[in-house]
Amino acid sequence: MILHAIRPKLCAALAAAGMFALAFPALAHHSFTMFDMSKRITLVGTVTSFEWTNPHSYIEIDAPDEKGAVKHWSIELGSPSILMQSGWKFSSLHAGDKVTLIINPMKSGQNGGFLSQATLPDGKVLTNGPRQEPPPPPAQK
Amino acid sequence: MKTQALTCLAWLPIAAALLHAAPPDFTGVWGIYRGGPGADPQFRAPAPSPLVLKPEYDKPYQARRTEEAAAAKRGEQLANTSAECIPYGVPTMMSVAIYPVEFIQTAKQITIIAEAFSEVRRVYLDRPQAKLEDVAPGYYGRSVGRWEGDTLVVDTIGIKPTVTLRGIPHSASMRVTERIRLVAPDILHDQITIDDPAVLEKPYTYTVAYKRMPADYEMVEFVCDNNREYIDSNGIVRLKLHDK
Repeated sequence: MILHAIRPKLCAALAAAGMFALAFPALAHHSFTMFDMSKRITLVGTVTSFEWTNPHSYIEIDAPDEKGAVKHWSIELGSPSILMQSGWKFSSLHAGDKVTLIINPMKSGQNGGFLSQATLPDGKVLTNGPRQEPPPPPAQK
Repeated sequence: MKTQALTCLAWLPIAAALLHAAPPDFTGVWGIYRGGPGADPQFRAPAPSPLVLKPEYDKPYQARRTEEAAAAKRGEQLANTSAECIPYGVPTMMSVAIYPVEFIQTAKQITIIAEAFSEVRRVYLDRPQAKLEDVAPGYYGRSVGRWEGDTLVVDTIGIKPTVTLRGIPHSASMRVTERIRLVAPDILHDQITIDDPAVLEKPYTYTVAYKRMPADYEMVEFVCDNNREYIDSNGIVRLKLHDK
């Protein structure tokens, strides 16, 4: 090994303060283009299953529509790792639990969406971690 | 007396060098450090270098990006390998969303485990790099490392062309060089340079910044056994819904 008497100057590798926050874009399992992130719908219903799985977790829920007819919804969440950083546990929800979910619905109009916020039976409010990934940087000439 | 004092002073840099002789220990779990509110901007990753592809590769790359943007406008995502739960490989696995990476360091090997997709790479410190023709093309290729002072320099070859960083094309002879070092006791930078003269006009460099995770953080398993995304016949990512 080569011995270096002087450690490399820290400043050489440190970024200028004014740089944009995301020097390198986040990559995630998929983008969220299929969800309408500008729209929020509230579902008040009963959990039929809580799937603590990868690459995403899901809440399956039966919720009445505005006319009272019960509809089934599949709601996507982050992965367990991401959810744990937002206070979730594998046992946070169970089939039969009454919950209130605020979701970003599918643009297709199907009964699916991306979780924005959940109110659990004990009143605890949990969110869904980071969501939107920026586009890749353009190639330069 | 004066001469003796000067002699002593002359030894100081050497003594300092000896103090720093042992390489730093990267062992631990590192979360992606992106800055943001309350963060120290001086530890953020520097901006990436310009990505300059050769014209024959740039054209299809730009066309694909235009298609992706048009699809996104329609609310659709074009197929990509990660939507099919195919691992990211080198170098992408070093920074996937906010998933941490774990370094396990010994004198002879550094093992890096990414939480997303549970990807594993091994960096050998006690042997030379192989010839490209002797490395089976794969997701992680073959990595060897050496210490340059307090910087770990990792050389990786053998990444197969289907394993890309954000769809950036590369040849089978791409070489990835990483310079990994602590810029503060709990901040690690991995400066990643992609060198591929067949495809790139000049090497492309970007840096990933990490912050040490709390000591009690335990890596979360990630097995992709409930992938509801699928690619339809038009190459669009769709989501399976559980209708009743």
